[in-house]
Amino acid sequence: MHKPLLVLLASVVVSGCASQQQTLYAWGGYDESLHAYYKHPQERERFVDNLKTVVLQAEQEGRKVPPGIYAEYGYALYEEGQYGPAVGYFKKEHELWPESRILMDKMIRNAQRQGSRQPAAATGPAGAVAKGTP
Amino acid sequence: MTRHVPIAMRAPALILVAGLLGCAAHAPPPKDYSKFLAARPRSILVVPVVNNSVDVDAPVYFLSTLPVPVAERGYYVFPVNMVKRVLEDDGLSDASLVHQADATRLCNLFGADSVLFVTIQRWDAKYMVLTTKVTVQFEYALKDGRTGDTLWTEKRTMVYQPKQSSSGNGLADLVAAVVSAAVEKAAPSYMPLARQANAAAVRYPGPGFPAGPYSPLHGKDLPEPSSLAAAPPPAQGTGASPSPAPAGRP
Repeated sequence: MHKPLLVLLASVVVSGCASQQQTLYAWGGYDESLHAYYKHPQERERFVDNLKTVVLQAEQEGRKVPPGIYAEYGYALYEEGQYGPAVGYFKKEHELWPESRILMDKMIRNAQRQGSRQPAAATGPAGAVAKGTP
Repeated sequence: MTRHVPIAMRAPALILVAGLLGCAAHAPPPKDYSKFLAARPRSILVVPVVNNSVDVDAPVYFLSTLPVPVAERGYYVFPVNMVKRVLEDDGLSDASLVHQADATRLCNLFGADSVLFVTIQRWDAKYMVLTTKVTVQFEYALKDGRTGDTLWTEKRTMVYQPKQSSSGNGLADLVAAVVSAAVEKAAPSYMPLARQANAAAVRYPGPGFPAGPYSPLHGKDLPEPSSLAAAPPPAQGTGASPSPAPAGRP
């Protein structure tokens, strides 16, 4: 009946805190996803998918990918043995966030070292699946 | 009239209440920001938390709530899950060992300006027949990566207890209370409470710390010289105000 009034009221309540509701970054549920992963480690794939979505959405919208997210995603790929793509995301973190450079340089070196040890056949999605599902 | 709120609806309600409370003006407690302002960190390393509660899951669950509020203050926050794994690979899977480590060495390892140590003091749900009281308590300490000095500390306690609404029907109220207490006991609302605690801890002006380089408020929300507790009490005149020059890091 008084739906417009209700909506108005609700927006007043929300805008009253507007300065606190605005966020610098679009996190895309990163914290909930990390919590779910720690709660159910067997659902790691969901966590990795969420990281990928956060990255893609921010890139598509021309927004900054939140701090640490390129690196988290790169590290997830690193854990799956996808060293080439991992290096790519570590470099993106390095580029976007100068504060990350010392750590990213180390991770890039690690990933490249691991990648050079690895037989070519094991790289790519096949190797990832083999390691991703114990 | 619903007497007890389903689980799924409780968390948003809690957050809404927190949001509204957040609007209330709080006089910031007097804190010494002189070391923080001298260090002016750009990045914060969030390391795994020490758990002094009896809930073994608490530390990893709580860790997941830390990066977003800290990054939203305008600081670069290192990828928490990756940092956790890297520390584990280095033989530091015990968070208390990480917290005992030298802050400057830790920061050096990751190239961080500062490190945030958080300890869980409480993370429990007390079932009291007619109600369940959920309590979380955290201690936060930010340390400088160059000097090891403590730049900021805070302690936060949050309590949640399902509200008892009276319908006039004593028996119905009793049943509703018992059900609500049992539901809360089965799945205590730790996560929204933890998020509220973090939001309240880092808020500034308030008990938190000034905005970092990625916040539009950076450099605009610096504490008044009077709140630099290290400064001597003001003499009769205006006194020389130590203007904190925005030194920043190279």
